[in-house]
Amino acid sequence: MQEELFTSGRNIPHIDPSLEIWHWPISLYLFLGGLSAGLLFFAALFYILGKDKEYPTTVKIASIVPPIALSIGLLALVYDLTHKLYTWQLYMTFRIESPMSWGAWVLLIVTPISFIWTFSYYREIYPRWEQKLQVFKRFKFLNAVEKFAQDNRIYMAYALIPLTLVLGIYTGILLSAFNARPLWNNAILGPLFLVSGLSTGAAAIILLSKNKLEKHTFGKIDLALIIVELALIVHMIMGYYAGSQVQLEAMELLVNGEFTLMFFGFVVILGLIIPAIMELIELIGFKVPAVVPALLVLLGGLVFRFVMVEAGQITRFLY
Amino acid sequence: MVIDTLKCVGCSDCVVACQTENDVPIGYCRDWITERVDGSYPNLELELRSERCNHCDNAPCVRCCPTGASHIVDGGVVMVTEDECIGCGACIESCPYDARYQHPDGYVDKCTFCHHRLEKGQLPACVSVCPTKCMYFGDLDNPNSEVSQLLKNRKYKTLAPEAGTNPHVFYLI
Repeated sequence: MQEELFTSGRNIPHIDPSLEIWHWPISLYLFLGGLSAGLLFFAALFYILGKDKEYPTTVKIASIVPPIALSIGLLALVYDLTHKLYTWQLYMTFRIESPMSWGAWVLLIVTPISFIWTFSYYREIYPRWEQKLQVFKRFKFLNAVEKFAQDNRIYMAYALIPLTLVLGIYTGILLSAFNARPLWNNAILGPLFLVSGLSTGAAAIILLSKNKLEKHTFGKIDLALIIVELALIVHMIMGYYAGSQVQLEAMELLVNGEFTLMFFGFVVILGLIIPAIMELIELIGFKVPAVVPALLVLLGGLVFRFVMVEAGQITRFLY
Repeated sequence: MVIDTLKCVGCSDCVVACQTENDVPIGYCRDWITERVDGSYPNLELELRSERCNHCDNAPCVRCCPTGASHIVDGGVVMVTEDECIGCGACIESCPYDARYQHPDGYVDKCTFCHHRLEKGQLPACVSVCPTKCMYFGDLDNPNSEVSQLLKNRKYKTLAPEAGTNPHVFYLI
C-alpha cells in the first residue's frame, strides 16, 4: 500500500502562520456591504414602485443605515490593507477580471449616492435634529443640494438597482474568484451572498419599522429570501460533494469539522430555519414578536460571513 | 525553471542565496525546501525539492489583483510593482502555492526569478549557487535550450496542475 507519510511544511515563522491574511475586518465588511446592498435595493425598488408613502421605513428611515454601515465597512477594508498609503492605486485602473476592482469602483459610486439619498430625507425624517443643529440655516447652499437631491431621487433609484445587485453579488464573487481556496471556489457563492444580503436588509427594515403593513410585507419577502438561501446552501454543499478531493476536504470543515457547529447551528438553524418558522407562524396569524426573527437573521448573516472567511482560508491545494 | 528532484539534497543553499541576493527580511523567504516521504516502512521514498513562485501562465494572482501591481513581464515572469500594490492580500489568497507574503513594508513580495540578474544575462541566485547543480534555468520557447531538452528526455511533473494555473517550474522525477 502506498501512503503518504509526511510532507514537510515550510516552517517560516513570519509567513506560514500569517497566510490567513484576511481577518475580522473583511468578514465585518462583507456583512455590512451585503446589508447596505439589501437596504438600498429595497429603498430604490419601493421608491420606483411609488410606494414611499406606504413603506416609509424602507425608503426613508432605514436609509440612514447604509451610509453609516458602508463607512464603517470601508474603514474596515482600509484597516486590513497593509500598504494603506497606496489605496488610491485602486482608482488608477479598472481590472475587469478582478472582483476587488469591481467592488472598489461600485463602492465609489454607491457610497456617495447612499449619503445623498439619506440627505434628501434628512429634514423630513429628523426635524428635531435639524431644529437643534440648524445646519440648513448655517449653510445656505445645503438648500440647493437638498433640492437637487430630491429632484433626482428617481435617477438615483434607477442607478441603485443594478449597482446594489453588483455590490451584493461582488461580496461573494470576491471570495469565489480565488483558485487556491477550494471552499470559496464555487459559482454559487455570489448569488448566495446576494440573497443573504437582501435577507439581512429585509430583516433590518422589519427591525426599524413601526408600520404593520411594512412589517408584514417584509416578513413575507424575508421568508421567501430565506427559502432561496437555504436552497442555495443545499446546492453549495451538493456542489462540494460532487467536487474534487480538495473540495471534499473543504466541505468536511462545514459538514463534519471545526465549523460545523457555527455553520449548521448558528447560520442554518438559528439564522435561517428558526426565523423562517417564526415568520411563517406570524403570516398564518399568530402573534410573534417580529424583532426576534429579524435579529436572528442579522446574527446569522454576520456569523455566515465569519464562517466562510475563516474556514475558506484553511482550505488549500495539497501537493 | 527545471529542478531535478533526484539530485536535490535539500541543503537550503538556494534559500539562503535568495535571501542574500534579494535582501529578504529576516524570518521571510521567497523559496523553500519541501521534503516528502511516501510509502510504508520499509519501502519508503523520499523526495526533496526546492519550491518557489511557479510563474504561472494562467496566474490567479495577476487575475485577482485590483490595481494591476501583479503583472507578467516579457518572458513570462510574474512581477509585483511595489508602488502599485495596496497590500489587499487577494493574490496571497489566490495562489495555490502560497508563494507570496506580505513584506513588513506593506507590499506583497515573491520570487522574481531574480529578474534584475536575468537582465544582465546572469542566472537566478538560487540556480547559480546550487551545489548539486540540480536546478536549470532557460528559455522554454527555444527547443534546443537545456531546459527544453531535459523536459523532452526526462519524466517530469508540475505542482498542483489541477489548479489550472499552468505552472512554469518543472520537477524531474
